[in-house]
Formats: sequence, C-alpha cells, structure tokens
Amino acid sequence: MTMPPPDLHTVELFGVPRLLAGARAAEAVGATLAELAADLARRVPALSGPVLDPASGWPNAGYAFVVGERFTRDPAHALPGDASILLVASVAGG
Amino acid sequence: MLGVHGRLLRIDLTTGESAAETLPPDATRLVLGGIGLASLLLLRECPPGADPLGPANPLIFAASPFIGTGITTASKIALAARSPQTGMIGDSLSSSYLAIALKRTGFDAIVIQGQAPEWSVLTIDGERTALRPAGALLGRDAGDAAVALRAELGPGFRAATIGPAGERLVRYAAVANDGRLAGRTGAGAVMGSKRLKGIVIRGDRLPHVADPGGVARIARSLAERSLGPATAKYRELGTAANLAFFNRMGVLPTRNFRSGAFNGAERIAGETLLLEHRADRHACAACTVGCEHHYRTRDGGPAIETRLEYETLFALGSLCSIDDPNVVLRAAARCDALGIDAISTGGTIAWAMECADRGVDLGVPGDDMPRFGDGAAVLQAIEAIGGRQGLGDLLAEGSRRAAAIVGQGSDAWAMHVKGLELPGYDPRKLETMALGLAVAARGACHNRSSAYEVDFSDRLEPASEMAARAQAAAEAEDRAAVLDSLTLCKFLRHAFDDLYAENADLLTRITGEPFSGDDLARSGERIANVKKRFNERQAWTRALDALPPRLLASDANAPSRIDRNWLERAIDAYYAARGWDAAGRIPPDRWTALGLPDAAPAGEA
Repeated sequence: MTMPPPDLHTVELFGVPRLLAGARAAEAVGATLAELAADLARRVPALSGPVLDPASGWPNAGYAFVVGERFTRDPAHALPGDASILLVASVAGG
Repeated sequence: MLGVHGRLLRIDLTTGESAAETLPPDATRLVLGGIGLASLLLLRECPPGADPLGPANPLIFAASPFIGTGITTASKIALAARSPQTGMIGDSLSSSYLAIALKRTGFDAIVIQGQAPEWSVLTIDGERTALRPAGALLGRDAGDAAVALRAELGPGFRAATIGPAGERLVRYAAVANDGRLAGRTGAGAVMGSKRLKGIVIRGDRLPHVADPGGVARIARSLAERSLGPATAKYRELGTAANLAFFNRMGVLPTRNFRSGAFNGAERIAGETLLLEHRADRHACAACTVGCEHHYRTRDGGPAIETRLEYETLFALGSLCSIDDPNVVLRAAARCDALGIDAISTGGTIAWAMECADRGVDLGVPGDDMPRFGDGAAVLQAIEAIGGRQGLGDLLAEGSRRAAAIVGQGSDAWAMHVKGLELPGYDPRKLETMALGLAVAARGACHNRSSAYEVDFSDRLEPASEMAARAQAAAEAEDRAAVLDSLTLCKFLRHAFDDLYAENADLLTRITGEPFSGDDLARSGERIANVKKRFNERQAWTRALDALPPRLLASDANAPSRIDRNWLERAIDAYYAARGWDAAGRIPPDRWTALGLPDAAPAGEA
C-alpha cells in the first residue's frame, strides 16, 4: 500500500523572509512542519541560511512558523491539507 | 555601592534653588534605577491629589547603574510624573545621550518641582543649575529647540525639550531628546506646566564600577549577540515589520478598532516601506542594534525624511483608515516636531472620525470634521492639536476627556484604558494582552505589559487555566519593569539566555554588591507594586482596570469580542497572582514582604 503524497501547502511570508524570497508566499510540501520546512529551504534557496537552517530547513532562532494562527516550534506538527501556514519573525510585536 | 552616585538633585523652579540630597542607600537594590527609581521617587514626592499640571506635581528624571558602562542599548532616560492624561502614574522612557549626560552630573536622578516665573530653560552643568528665559525658543519645534540650545551652549550639553504642544499643555505632549520622544502619558505637558521649554545637561563624572574588565567583556559579548538573529527583525525592517503580520492575524487595529484587518495594509506595510520609501537606518545612543528606520516621502510634495515605528504607523495609518504611506510619514514627522505622542494622537483623531461617522456634534461645521481615510484631515487635525486650535483644543484633551466633554454616547468608542489610548494590538484575539492592558498601571500600554509575547508564542494554549494566564501577564510586566529600570532596550531581550541571571551578573560587576537572578525578579515585582501604590494614592479603583466597552461588545466586523465575565475573572486571577486583595489593593503585609516599608509615603496610614 502506498502512502498518498503529502499536500502542497502555501506558506505566507512576512518580514525578512518575504524580502529575501521576493514574494509574499511560497509553496512547499510536507505532512509535518519539519518536512515542509526542509522542502521550503530547497525550493526557496534565498531562505536557506539567513532564515532556515541549511541542513534541516528548520527556522533559525529569529524565525518561527505560525500554523492556524498559533506559533509552534514542534517539528512533528501535522499539517492538514488546508493548513494556514505563516513564516514570520519569532519576535512578534515591539 | 559603586556604579551609582547615591544622590539626587532637587530643583525648585519657583525659587530657583537647587540642592543635592542623598538617595536611600537601598534604592538600587529595591528598584534598580530608571523607571523603578523614578517611580519610587514619584511615590514619595507627589502628594495625593496633586494637580498633574500644577506646581506640586514633580517631574523626575532618572538614570540607571547600566548607563555609561558601555552596555549596548543601556542609554535610556526615565521620566515620571503624575500623568495629566490619566491621573495615574505617568512614566516614560527614551533612548538618548541625555541619559549619559545626566549620569555624568554626579546624580542618579533629578526632581523638578514648582513652576518657573516665566518660560525658561534649565541648565544643569554638573552640580550647578541655572534658569534663564526661553526667549526665542518659545513656539519652536521640539527638535529645532534642542538643536538651537546645543548650538548655543556647545556639544557637551544634551537637551530635553518640548514642542508647541507641550507649551499648550496638550495632555499627551512628549519630551523630546536626540530625536526620540519620551512619548506616553504626557510628560511634555507637565514640563510645559512648569514653564520649562528645555533642560540642558552636562557633566563629567561617571561613577566607578567594581569590575570594569568584566563589564567590558560582557558588554562586548552582548554587542555581538545584539547583531544576531534575536534582533534581525529590528535591524532589517524595524518595528514596521509588525503591520502586515498583525493584519494577517486579524489584530491590526483598524478604523478605531471597528476591525482587526485593514484593506490598505499592504500599502503601508513595513516591507513596502522598505522597498519604496527607505532612506536610512540609525541607532539610538550607545546602541549596536540600529532599529530606527527612516523613510522618505515620494508624493511629489516637499520631500521629508522621518523615523517611523509600528505604533506610529498603525495609529496614523490603519486606525484612521489611511493607506497612503506619504500621509503617514508626514503625520509622524509632525507629531515628533510638535512633540505629541503618536499613539494618543491617532487614537483621539480616530475617535473624532467615528464621531463624524455617527453625526456627533463636536462643535465644528460638518465639513471640518475629520473623516476616516482622509489624509489631509489627519494632517490638519495634528496641527490643530499641537496649537490647540479649533477642534484641536478638544482633541488635545485625549479621547477620554474629549468624550466626557462631548457626551452623546461617544465614550462608547473612546479606545483607552485609564485615559491612555490603546497601542496597536487588538486584544480581542490576544487574551493575555487583553488582561495586561486592563490592569497596567499607566494605562493601555504594550511597553509596560509585554503580555502579547505570551499570545505570540506557544507558551499557553488558548484554553489554559486562568491562573496560568494571570501569572504569565504578571511575569511579563515584571520583566518589562526590570528592563525599563536597568534602562535596557526591550529589543535586546531575546539576546539573553537568562535575562535575570545575566543582568544580575552585570549588576554585581557594576555595583560590587551581589545580585542574583531572583533579586532582579523580586525588583520587578516591587516596581509593579510601587506603581500600583502610587495609583492607589491617586484615587485608583478597580473600575479603572477595564477595557473599552467596544472590545466587550458583539460586532460583526470585529475579530471577536472579549467576554466581560472572563475579563473579570482574569483580573481576579491577576490580583491573586500579585498577592493583592479582591479589590485589587496591596495589603500592608504584602507591601512589607516586598521590603518596601521605607518607601511608603510619609504620613500615609
């Protein structure tokens, strides 16, 4: 039995990630946040290094994912097909 | 104790006399310095019921042990007075070389009392003080006046000035220094009420520190960390980066808090401003971060360059439905020049715009009423406020007082807490922030609460126990109090692995006396209690710990609403976390347990 392919997600970009990518959003696939991050780093090389760790794709200390309007640092966070995913500065606010 | 002078300078403007006094020897241990010291002194110096714009209200400037040590960002000056805007504690902080100048005078704080017989400039040159007529400085913009004073007296002097708004006692007038403003709660109006156009300070004696080598080593490390990922957002985009993200999260106050999302947000987003309007980037005094982004207008009119922070951007932008970045930049520049707090300015103009929408009579012809989305009206209203002309005379009172004067139900959309207009965080989707804003001693303020950090994290689930949320709100307040009292920039907060322990180590190396992380946490608690105690003496009641009714009401356009019962239970839990009684007052044994008996004002039961 083969597993269905992971969903293609749209990741909305804010702040430095948006400036580096030169776009307000990018696409990536992943069933979990870790998988999505790794794929995002591959698809948007400009993010790899300053925003996403080049090896794992996981956000560096200054950045975080927001899934369903909740900040999360859990790489195993499962992503439903209609997940709302944002990549933002981890220091929100002033 | 090293690192501080242990002295304050008291100046009576009525008589022109000044005197040096000894600070309580335990002042640094109790409340550190900066905002903590200014608040403690205000508690002692300001009589209950003192008219905020009268001679009995002291205007206090305070330094901290960190100032002048080379620690990055630690060059902020703290101000305190009874606020003419709220009637409660008024405290504000501003990055400035003035802080270093004050520290060099040989004093840790200046207490200014009375009222000058004529408009004056106060000169503090080390131990010597003098008053001289303000003369041609009157009426000049805040920044221009400072430049003129320094040009006349020499670059060794640093200046704090007020603009025309402070002269006219606009209740949210600010004190300007080095292009920055101590903006919130109306210290500029207090300075104006004392007929002080400016204060210039020079000195040449910094206190010794106990371990200069150790302090220098840690300062270098901190400077390196200040250039790391923890501050990247501020360096690359500045606080303006908040706007697009907040809009996406539905927490961007829009159209006087009618909505949490703004259709024009992308036009004024930080990312857009950077690409289309960026002029330069600056750093505050003794700061390695450099978060102050300057932008240039590009509308074909007279070009200006100005700094712009998120709070100014939301208040003069989305809150008033303005999506033209050129208008926001011009409005921000005029707020700085006139010397008025941009948050309260935008909040009060937005209140008037809603009055216009609803047909409320503000005593001016309908065509003169500002309307949502009308950039020219915003610019006109700002000038009118600064000069207290026409409608500006009403708006200069702030939204709470203006609504009380006008009536007609307009208090329903006056968006303030304790008279201080709300910052740019819609608390209807930020539960911890909602509590933090309601209970904050100085009114609705993101800088003194910082509880939004809990909401913008995975620290608490939405359905967390009330006690956990209340504790988180209290701890956020305490952390902010410690940073404000060490006069460190909050943008540095994530550069520390352990905020309290690392700063306790620094404080130990500066003062030569042992401080632990727990000591600093305790100081944060004390400072929160000192501010609360001040408010208790100024007729605070639990009814003032509240949110504007709009946030509690159902509205189809609003992101959600805050349940009134939930808020009351959250406030109960916050009082419990603080060790206060059910009415929100500090029990005597709690005050004593914090080691504050000597700080109780003389003569108080």
